[in-house]
Amino acid sequence: MLSETETRLLGVMMMVIMLGMGASLTFKDFAIALRKPVGVLVGLLCQYGLMPLVAFLLAKALALPPAYAVGLILMGCMPGGTTSNIFAYFSKSQLSLSILMTMSSTLLAILMVPLTLAFYSSGIEGQWQVPRANVIQVLFVLLVPTVIGIALRKWNANVGAVIEMVGGLLGVLVILFLVLSWVPRNSQLLMTTGFPVYAASIGLGLTGFTLGYGLSRLLRQDARRSRTIALETGIQNGPLAVLIVLLTFSGTQQQEVLLIPVLYSLFIVLTSSAVTVWFRRITLREELARDAAKIGVLKAA
Amino acid sequence: MDAVSPYHLKPWLAQYGSAVPATLPAPEATSLAAMAGAATTRHAKRTAFTCVLPNGMYGNLSFAQVQAMSDQFAHYLRRVVGLQAGDRVALQMPNCLGYPVALLGVLKAGCVAVNTNPLYTAREMNHQFVDSGAKVVVIVDLFADKLEQALVGTAVKQVVLTKVTDFFPSLVGGIAHAVMKHWNRLVPGHSLQGVHTLPAALHQGTAAAGAVSGTGTGTYTETLTHDSLALLQYTGGTTGVAKGAELTHGNMLWNMAQMRAMAADRIVDGEEVVLTALPLYHIFAFTVNFLCMFDAGARNVLVPSPRPVQNLQRAIENYPITWITGVNTLYNALLNEEWFTAYPPRHLKAAGGGGAAMHHAVVERFEKVTGAPLAEGYGLTECAPVVCFQPLHGLRVKDSIGIPVPSTEVCLLDDAGNPVALGQPGELCVRGPQVMRGYWQRPEATAEVIRNGWLHTGDVAVMTADGTFRIVDRKKDMVLVSGFNVYPNEIEDALAHHDAVMEAAVIGLPDSKTGEAVHAYVVLREELVGKVTEAELLAHCKTLLTGYKVPVRVNFRIELPKTPVGKILRKDLRSEALKKS
Repeated sequence: MLSETETRLLGVMMMVIMLGMGASLTFKDFAIALRKPVGVLVGLLCQYGLMPLVAFLLAKALALPPAYAVGLILMGCMPGGTTSNIFAYFSKSQLSLSILMTMSSTLLAILMVPLTLAFYSSGIEGQWQVPRANVIQVLFVLLVPTVIGIALRKWNANVGAVIEMVGGLLGVLVILFLVLSWVPRNSQLLMTTGFPVYAASIGLGLTGFTLGYGLSRLLRQDARRSRTIALETGIQNGPLAVLIVLLTFSGTQQQEVLLIPVLYSLFIVLTSSAVTVWFRRITLREELARDAAKIGVLKAA
Repeated sequence: MDAVSPYHLKPWLAQYGSAVPATLPAPEATSLAAMAGAATTRHAKRTAFTCVLPNGMYGNLSFAQVQAMSDQFAHYLRRVVGLQAGDRVALQMPNCLGYPVALLGVLKAGCVAVNTNPLYTAREMNHQFVDSGAKVVVIVDLFADKLEQALVGTAVKQVVLTKVTDFFPSLVGGIAHAVMKHWNRLVPGHSLQGVHTLPAALHQGTAAAGAVSGTGTGTYTETLTHDSLALLQYTGGTTGVAKGAELTHGNMLWNMAQMRAMAADRIVDGEEVVLTALPLYHIFAFTVNFLCMFDAGARNVLVPSPRPVQNLQRAIENYPITWITGVNTLYNALLNEEWFTAYPPRHLKAAGGGGAAMHHAVVERFEKVTGAPLAEGYGLTECAPVVCFQPLHGLRVKDSIGIPVPSTEVCLLDDAGNPVALGQPGELCVRGPQVMRGYWQRPEATAEVIRNGWLHTGDVAVMTADGTFRIVDRKKDMVLVSGFNVYPNEIEDALAHHDAVMEAAVIGLPDSKTGEAVHAYVVLREELVGKVTEAELLAHCKTLLTGYKVPVRVNFRIELPKTPVGKILRKDLRSEALKKS
């Protein structure tokens, strides 16, 4: 469980992160992306079509109790995490697509998260439900710094670029903060937590990577775009889920619902790091092949 | 030259109309230092330079700041390093705020600037330092690791290090430099001793000037005249050993005035914002973007590296660009970017193209997308550089280099040195106040290109009756197919007209049947790679070209070899092909 101060701190940090994300893009970037919307649309389909379903099915398959199921489904319904952009950078994926996916899923969150969350958690007992008003409130509050970020970028490119970097860095720090402040205090809980919870926390991200990649390939995106979408799909906005839980539940109830979002945030850093190294290697190999093709004369097919 | 030759009559003067004077008065300023001083007096508070990084981070310098800082650097060179008038200072950096400070500082110290390509290898650097006898090198930290090796056997006694982010707001510059150094690992370590950073050099300059009475830089430049050397601009590195073209203060001041006259009312004092994507160490950007626009009180938006071309996106989005200069490859690359074609610069008044032949198809598309004229010019390092430009106010004949700039004579000569008849190809020769004094310490090389007072350019051109010139090709790039002259430009242009072709280069290779044969190298648009065949392109060429001009082979490439300013290196393709056979 997090203290009142820590909750507030987390809220403020989330705002800075969203400010940074807003500062990373201009309205023109959006307009340009919407001229060729296929990539972003595929991404959104993975984000809000695939991930909530995966979370729901995992909860069913592992027969999770309501508290954990709600945590998992909430996690599945979240928009893309800002850390995905850092991983996209390191894995040599298509950074612009990654940023656009995060941005558009975040802006659409105010509509899609309450909808998907209500749909998939409808079978769960009333006391474990996350009230729609809470979700909308949090998302709305986060939209404000996003818009301010966009405006700051427009007003002064230097301020925008610095905020963008600070926001990206804070994204990583917040996860570290969550893990470092939460894990030691809950070591007892972690010891007694059973396999299904771990399987759900780790499985959500891994399934997201796999199915995100598969679906994009199926929808005829090229390999590099598909790797970008895969990372983006698997990486959810963990801190946002934590914040919503903190603002909705209290006491032991809070602690139980919080378990999966925190574990997810912890493991997603590890799994996406591994995936990033792997993707980076594939991209490098493809680039080498391109270089080789440059040297030799390509006879047209 | 024969007095009745078509060139003697200067038929192009009729095209000047009322907008461009036929001859210009000698420039008022006695030196580039005086020019900079006068421009600063007129525009002191305006922003002179804005350096924009790919993520949009920027730093600004006003005219007054550039003036003050370049004064400090001049004091540093004269009083701290102890240089004398006429000593050479090599400048080796991409476009950044340190460049105008250092360059004007060198000129105000009465010294000679040696523009050096930062991408040079240690060997090439060494040649240029030894040949020019440079005593100071101002180099960007990104390439300092090559310097140690390059300094062996040179007269260099002081190295000054700059950063791309010098003179940025400190927090922004600090973050940007840290990212470059620790994240992108672009800043190599070096073990040079006694190096000064540029900001430290400015401090020392201020201190040294303060200790001596009469702190102006006027005493350093009072002996400068139009005949004094301002610049050693190296050229010919792609064909053989690089030679330094001696460009005087007069050459540069004249060429600025000539360029300004051709632009007529499209350059308004204090109103222009020019995008400088070409490197300032290149003579075209140096004269047109830097000198001419500084004199006009323009804001100069400097982009350190235009590759990849996305690096220009924030610069074009964030500033109301009114002028762009570039080469064919740059415009072609821009037109392949969706962010550019969807949101072209709205305030653009004109664009200038030069350095290498512009392709018709690129010019047409650029003008359609931006609604601004893209005028093509022609010049060479030896002429500071502009010789001809398409008139912005009048008829711009497609595929031409336009007409000679004011106070310039141009004629086309045959191999015997006689003017060729109207409409016939001949070597383009130039006489005018912008023509260099000669090559630095190479009298034979000078005598080879400046004969009977005419600079021989090595380019083959034709003139129409109204005095418009068209470059046919480089003399040495011409392909001789069964005794017919084939000029690669024409074939490249024909290929570029095919929708699938992004870039093309054409060379001649030995052929057992025809002596030489035309070989094409083509880069297809990304989405069409593998979907267009050689046969298709050859069929396309046949619809546009006579039989002997059609390539015998089309080789598909992902990239073509280019110089740092984006000129396609045909000679690299040729030597590679020859090596293979």
